[in-house]
Amino acid sequence: MTRKTLLKPDYSRRKAIRTMGLGAGALAASTALPRFVQAQSAAPIKIGFQVHRTGIGASYGRWYDRTTTAVVKRINDAGGINGRPIEIIAEDDGTDAKRGAEVIEKFATQSKCDIAFGTLFSHVVIGSAPRAGELKLPYFVVSEGHHVASGMLNRYTLQPGITDVKSQVQAMAPYVANNLGKKVTMIYADFAFGHDHRDYFSAAVEAQGGEVVAKIAIPPTETSFTKYFPQIPRETEVVYHVMVGPAVLTFVKEMGEFFGPSSPEIFGFIDSLEAVDIASPGLEFLEGSYFWEGMPRYAQADQTDYEKEYRDAVGVDANGASVTDSKDVSTYAHMFGCWETMNIIKAGMEACDYQGPEQRQALIEAVEAMSDMPAGIDHPQGPKRFNGKTHQTFGVQYISKVEGGKMNVVHTTSIEDTLYPDEVDYTTQSF
Amino acid sequence: MTKPSLPVNSPLRRGFAVAIAAGLGVGPASAHTAQSGFVLLLPTDVYLIAGSLAVAATVIFVTVLPGATLARLFRPRRLGSLPDLSQLRAATSLIALGCLALLIVAGHLGPSDPLSNLLPLAIWTVWWICLVAVQGVFGDVWAWVNPWTGFQRLANGGGQPPLKLPAALGQWPAVVIFGLAMGFALADPAPDSPPRLAGFVAGYALFTLAGVTVFGARWLRQVECFTIMLRWFATLAPLQLRRWASIGFPGWASLRAPVPPVSGAVFIIVLLATGSFDGLNETFWWFARIGINPLAFPGRSEIIWDTTLGLIGANVLLVAAFWGCAALGVLLVRAFVADTAPSTTLAFRRLSVSLLPIALGYHIAHFFTAFLVNGQYALVALSDPLANGADLLNLGQFYVTTGFFNTRDTVQTIFRVQAGAIVIAHILGVLMAHRIADDLFTTRRAALLGQIPLALFMVLYTLLGLWLLAAPRGA
Repeated sequence: MTRKTLLKPDYSRRKAIRTMGLGAGALAASTALPRFVQAQSAAPIKIGFQVHRTGIGASYGRWYDRTTTAVVKRINDAGGINGRPIEIIAEDDGTDAKRGAEVIEKFATQSKCDIAFGTLFSHVVIGSAPRAGELKLPYFVVSEGHHVASGMLNRYTLQPGITDVKSQVQAMAPYVANNLGKKVTMIYADFAFGHDHRDYFSAAVEAQGGEVVAKIAIPPTETSFTKYFPQIPRETEVVYHVMVGPAVLTFVKEMGEFFGPSSPEIFGFIDSLEAVDIASPGLEFLEGSYFWEGMPRYAQADQTDYEKEYRDAVGVDANGASVTDSKDVSTYAHMFGCWETMNIIKAGMEACDYQGPEQRQALIEAVEAMSDMPAGIDHPQGPKRFNGKTHQTFGVQYISKVEGGKMNVVHTTSIEDTLYPDEVDYTTQSF
Repeated sequence: MTKPSLPVNSPLRRGFAVAIAAGLGVGPASAHTAQSGFVLLLPTDVYLIAGSLAVAATVIFVTVLPGATLARLFRPRRLGSLPDLSQLRAATSLIALGCLALLIVAGHLGPSDPLSNLLPLAIWTVWWICLVAVQGVFGDVWAWVNPWTGFQRLANGGGQPPLKLPAALGQWPAVVIFGLAMGFALADPAPDSPPRLAGFVAGYALFTLAGVTVFGARWLRQVECFTIMLRWFATLAPLQLRRWASIGFPGWASLRAPVPPVSGAVFIIVLLATGSFDGLNETFWWFARIGINPLAFPGRSEIIWDTTLGLIGANVLLVAAFWGCAALGVLLVRAFVADTAPSTTLAFRRLSVSLLPIALGYHIAHFFTAFLVNGQYALVALSDPLANGADLLNLGQFYVTTGFFNTRDTVQTIFRVQAGAIVIAHILGVLMAHRIADDLFTTRRAALLGQIPLALFMVLYTLLGLWLLAAPRGA
């Protein structure tokens, strides 16, 4: 038994202790270890962390892991949840839908987790959610997809800590149409990801009196783009690009070469260049262009204390890179979702005085009852408004301009800009 | 097996897509899109042409080189005799077996995260990625950490094993088992899942321990594919420590090793084919073949059969191509030189050894990026082997980084290292092939003529290897 205890997965502790080694505050932090005494049980709350450790999402997974480790440390240092520490049980889903479902099952049946939390890529969430529903395991996803609010999942799946792509895209339209130009050419990767942008944005910009004058779909495996640029109509005032994959840098370079100094306004989603240094050679053309950012990668002049605290906790510098390697750029526009979701889980468990798996339904009802959440250290990305019916959160979005190789926020949307009519009411579904 | 259509419009792919991909698992996964993006901006055409020309130039160079010069190049120098350390090696082998057992336990009971658990990091990063490379460059380290040899000595008690493996089996069992193991590494959805890997490793360990108990050391020469592979790679190292310490040009010991049987030659080709396929299956080209959008890669469980059939196909194709080269060379000699040519079988067997450096070069080039990242995870896990917060290596604050994939300069350096490994490996392959041909054919003219197909093969294979590094990759 002793050996088993020694070898017991103690993921959070390993990371937490390592983090404590940081700097002069380390000793103080380690002597101030919380005492989990007031709880009826001091046994940890087990949170199954479904993470892209391998596969196509591993870059994101690494930062999701780092953010999760940081938020768990913060919560545990402050006394845990209902007096009990959080224990993270991390399982690799391989960025694979089938494995995702297996991981959920393992959380529920083998490691006896209270809830599941985590993953990003839509196909994994969509592959896992039905199993979570069958096993009646609350599943808090940080995936950004519209699949939760679209109604295709179930009552056990919630996305309270990150906004969905539909609301993000829609919220861009007012600024783009009113400040950059009304005649938009969209260049997008020709598969579901690009199609979502095409459909959501076209509708939204037309509602603003704008017009999409051309839709240029680029095959996903394309690596040379010069032949597509002549398709951009002369009347174009704004180019909206959402390209992904390894050829993005080539795309940007070739677009720069095509337009030269007299280009229309350029607007893109940072997803294209998430974790890529904007100051990289070849990306000079991005200077003066605009990006959607889920959360501003570069610390802004009016940075709040809580944003700084969040950055420090995750170990990210003012340029959005790792504090130990300035070239290791984080997935800053997305990973805050792990931090905020974990804080919402905590708030939900506290609201229903969560003691164990028999209260899983109460936890879901407690989260469903949430609505406005103010910006602060629990929600460093900004204020949120959770819709308990659609299980989806809504929040402000940022538009940044590349200036001097950095991104400066030029516009922050309202939450209202991001809202759309409900497409589902999960609360009518029985448990 | 081509899928009916790109599943790109499926609502199941809705929502988030791939901005960056960094599959840093074991099998086929070593792509990082930022890195791959910078590679696409590098003048890779120049590298492709220059590298292939360097190999082609070597081919021409050796044809004008007198045969004796090459023979002299591969002649080692003896440095001195060495004591018999086999007892000591048996002891370290038993320690290695104990460590393996502990790793299996860690796989079952340790963290389920493959980048925190020691077992997958030890097996895939330390052993598969690093030890294979070390073995090829520095010599037979495996002889000291091979977990089977000590047990085999104990089990057989210095006498004969109970049963004798039929010699006629050759190394075919090793070919089959290696194929199965690589199928697991490349096609299985979760080869680095700690408990899953622990099961496989434990199963293989029991199988091998039973094998050496019943069949003795021959098991390690005919069935245990990893010992066979690592012993072959060790012969590439300049320094060889056996009864004598000898040093020479890389590959000299490979040329002096016993000529492999047909099965052994196939085994060497399979090493190369598997390594090549492991690079090929990350390319956009391959994804187009199997009808998968690499930017919305659904996961390994969706392409198990595509990968398996691709792996088998690549192996069959390369064995056939190499046999064709050997046969064509022999035909050319018979047609144009009044000489008695060796049989195609003998040419196939002997020339296969010249593929060893190429297989090693592919291995180093392919896994270099995974090594840079997973090596860090291995270091962290070594510092905290029981996952209880220890910091034995005093790493302190340690964040694993992939920052070197994010700048053009570092990506260029990484690419040069990889391309260098490919080109150097092929140049060595050409030199070794030439040396073998000189022995195989009775006259100089026959030797030159007989190896034309193989030389051409090697130049083209250089091109393939460099293209694999430069090609757009996903998943």
